[in-house]
Amino acid sequence: MSDFDAIDSLLDAVGPQAQLPPCHVRRELREQARLSKAQVARALGVSPSTLSGWETGRDPAGEIRTKYAYLLDGLNTKLTTETETETETETAPAAEQPVTSGTAATVTPLSSLDLRQDEDGDDVELLVAPEPCVLCGRPAGQRVAGFAQHLTPADCQPTATGAPAAPPAGQPTAHTPKAPLRTPPPAHATKRSKSPARHAFQEPSGPLDLIRETVQSALTEHRGDADAATAALLKRAIPDAMRLLDETRKGARYDVIAHPWIPDILKKQTARGADQIWEARPKWTRHQLPPGRHQVTALDINGAYLSALKTHLPLGQLEHSTGPAHDRRRSGVHLITPPEWEHQAVLPNPIGQRDDPGPLWVTEPTLRLLLRLSGPKHQLCTPPQIHESYTSGATENLLEKFRIALKDARDTAIEQDDTVTLEYVKAMYSKFVSTMGQSNYNRELYRPDWMHLIRSQAFANLWLKALKAHHEGLTVVRAMGTDELHIIGDWRRVFTEGRAVTEVKVKDTYTATNTAAEHTGEGE
Amino acid sequence: MPEKNIDFGKFGARGIKGSDAVARKLDELAGGIATPVTAKRGWMARLHYLTKSPQTLKAAQDAGLTVTHRTLKAWLDGKRRPSKTNLERIDQAYRTVRRHNVARHLLRRLNRDGRGTRVEIHPLNQSQVPQPLQRVVEYRTMNVRRWDRIVGSWAAGDHQSLDAAWQDTIVDLGSQWGQYEYVTNVGFAA
Repeated sequence: MSDFDAIDSLLDAVGPQAQLPPCHVRRELREQARLSKAQVARALGVSPSTLSGWETGRDPAGEIRTKYAYLLDGLNTKLTTETETETETETAPAAEQPVTSGTAATVTPLSSLDLRQDEDGDDVELLVAPEPCVLCGRPAGQRVAGFAQHLTPADCQPTATGAPAAPPAGQPTAHTPKAPLRTPPPAHATKRSKSPARHAFQEPSGPLDLIRETVQSALTEHRGDADAATAALLKRAIPDAMRLLDETRKGARYDVIAHPWIPDILKKQTARGADQIWEARPKWTRHQLPPGRHQVTALDINGAYLSALKTHLPLGQLEHSTGPAHDRRRSGVHLITPPEWEHQAVLPNPIGQRDDPGPLWVTEPTLRLLLRLSGPKHQLCTPPQIHESYTSGATENLLEKFRIALKDARDTAIEQDDTVTLEYVKAMYSKFVSTMGQSNYNRELYRPDWMHLIRSQAFANLWLKALKAHHEGLTVVRAMGTDELHIIGDWRRVFTEGRAVTEVKVKDTYTATNTAAEHTGEGE
Repeated sequence: MPEKNIDFGKFGARGIKGSDAVARKLDELAGGIATPVTAKRGWMARLHYLTKSPQTLKAAQDAGLTVTHRTLKAWLDGKRRPSKTNLERIDQAYRTVRRHNVARHLLRRLNRDGRGTRVEIHPLNQSQVPQPLQRVVEYRTMNVRRWDRIVGSWAAGDHQSLDAAWQDTIVDLGSQWGQYEYVTNVGFAA
């Protein structure tokens, strides 16, 4: 007989497998709960890499699957509870898909209130006293997995407030009749991640709050006078930017080294003079326009220096090296012989308007741009010849959090039409860049190398925008300074107009003819 | 001090004394006339600075500018120009007086009401040292709270006491402080 017992238990085990939400939802749930892979993996008794596998496409099986499903289920309920309690206080806080007629319509009133295991494994309870449905709010006679709700969509007619019932289009798996045990649709997950108020896991005050609080206190101090508050904020922009930088570097991998030894080429020759670095500022106007009259649009790149904060910055002291090799993991300044530029008629020279021939000191972004243009994809010039370099190990992420904090503050300010914050943020990043070298206005940071690199990155970004326009068949007329691009043609199909850092704004439009020297030719 | 280097640079290490780096940085922070003393604009500016008031003139004379009023007047009127030795004296006197004048403000900024200033210490350059003799010397930072002795001896132009003061400061780095007797750079802001 024991044989049959064994077979029976085996047969029991064969039953339906626990349902798991789709992979990306698994990850989202874990991330929303601020659980690390290692934590979850330890709890489940698997390795973190196995867990990554489950979150990227593989499925666990057997007992561990049940455990995993239980965990996700629990997380889901917890997170959903937090969202729902904000709006609905009385009802059981959860959102369940209306179980569509295919499986559960066969539910018939049973004699007892016992838990009944239906074919999908849902726990359906019949209630003696009807409770409000979590979806539509009207009395419902059944409870599924602990939440009162209607079992057929016909009964359940969600009102306008019952938003969760609207099935989102992109998630078909969650809406099959075999809805996961208690898994609400992943639409909640995505909605939650965007919602600003997170009560479940209190977010520590971040750099964004620092900006907001500073602006608030300045406004209070000046009793709401926006002009006075702006003036006061602009005055303290540099120390505030340094404080923000410190804030964003908390717990970071690398220290910001503020006073390294500086090679002579980065030192100013005289008090007011410049050092030997060539930043490759574009200053180019097309010699000859195509024949006829043209409508030229002057575009302005939004927040050019803000975007340029993302560049490969050398971390420590610059070390000298000679030789033609370029190490992509290092960054700094290089003495190069620039290649010949044969496309002067249609595109600016990537090293800018340089009159002196011969070798020159350029920064990392310019060199990378030249290497890229000489590469197999573009083949616009020959590779530059590197003679000497002062480099150090580099990272692109050094100012990344700083940049994102400022960008977020800028976006929010634009959205809310908050000129005070907008001006303040603008002053912070522009003054931060202009004074991070050897300036008496900011003595906390003596990194002329970073200043040159960030500026060059802004110029390289502008140059690449010009190249993009050229490739799309537009006529580039002029590229000037950090953020000015004059274009003939339908630029709207290449660039989006707007105020975000990825968009461009129109500065001016004017007409130019081939012969008229109204705007053309004056920049020479 | 047992940690001190005896024969620095024997195996090719390069660097300067920590106290020299500090003095250099303090000079940089003190600012002043950038034009070299050999140019007319440079020595004229220094003379104007030194003769602005009877007190500064007295300080200049104490600092070694021992010339008569008649000579000074001739220089300032442009009738004569100082000789090479006198140019050196002017420069020396200017540096001393300038340091003395700036020291008070600099000290206040560096002490920051007892909060002190963060100092970065960049280790010596070992690139010319044979590989087996190279040691791991890390970049270090420390907070220096009391600058009185350092700034005081810098203002007085007393190298030895500045060196002693700096040594007493870097002892706080821990048992490896001897590795930081010679450095490539010492950085701090004021």
